Amino acid sequence: MTEEYDVEFVEREDRKARFLVRGVTPAFANGIRRAMIADVPTMAIDTVRFVENSSVMFDEQLALRLGLVPLTTPPEGEFTEDDTVTLSIDVEGPATAYSGDLVSSDDLVQPADENVPIIELKDDQRLEAEADAVLNRGKDHAKHQGGVAVGYRHLQRVEVGDDVPEFEEQERRIVRGVIEEDGELVPTSEFDHDLTNRYPGKEVRVEDVPNAFVFHVETDGSFTVDELVTRAVDSIEARAIELEEAVQL
Amino acid sequence: MMVPVRCFTCGNVVGEHWEEFKARARDGDEDPAEVLDDLGVERYCCRRMLVSHTDLVDVVSPYQ
Ligand SMILES: [Zn+2]
Repeated sequence: MTEEYDVEFVEREDRKARFLVRGVTPAFANGIRRAMIADVPTMAIDTVRFVENSSVMFDEQLALRLGLVPLTTPPEGEFTEDDTVTLSIDVEGPATAYSGDLVSSDDLVQPADENVPIIELKDDQRLEAEADAVLNRGKDHAKHQGGVAVGYRHLQRVEVGDDVPEFEEQERRIVRGVIEEDGELVPTSEFDHDLTNRYPGKEVRVEDVPNAFVFHVETDGSFTVDELVTRAVDSIEARAIELEEAVQL
Repeated sequence: MMVPVRCFTCGNVVGEHWEEFKARARDGDEDPAEVLDDLGVERYCCRRMLVSHTDLVDVVSPYQ
């Protein structure tokens, strides 16, 4: 792809963003989406050694719950896929063990959310365990999936036509996503997703803008949306280079 | 038994909001829909995780 493409943000927060990408093919847009879901490695607990577990849940149930807690993932190149980070947890009942009770051996790898209840402990119950977190991809296990609810829609353009005949009941025209109006991007939530609210009494025609996609991206807290998108694109590039080298004579 | 850590469908972390949801909408008398909006649990896949959850630790713990 030699054409230029540009990116414009509609909404931008740490863990959630919407942005418009122009000048990419549908195939490439889908490639980015898939890379964000399956190919960006994140840290997650993979092995747990239980020292004591007298709670009402089995070891493997707790190990799954610990694995699903998102951990902050260090910058690219900081860790390789074989490195492990040890986290420990020690809570004695009556109390609830939270994800925030995990003590990490590395400052870069910390629980991203601190309020996830792991297990409620009653009198004389105790949870003591040591866990190894590893770097892996969403392809292998959903706990390594950094992108949550990643998707895209076509950017849409609205053409306003003639007036609706005076005595005709106007039907609702529901559109979801982002529309373009004189070069300005308007999220449909601004007019309750109903075009008759924005253009009352007018005929409207909606059409897709070719090769313009509005992405909606959320992360589980492992990294920011910016990080997720750039790492996804880097992973596509790395694979493209690998392919190029592999097919060279 | 315990609230699921993530939404089964989309993978969003919902366990994080359980205790506040429980305090405000179950034990308190706020409208669950408003509490979920307030907590930023937007999608209905995630909302059903909290709305349909029941804590069972108290039920099973006598039989340890
Ligand atoms: Zn969900």
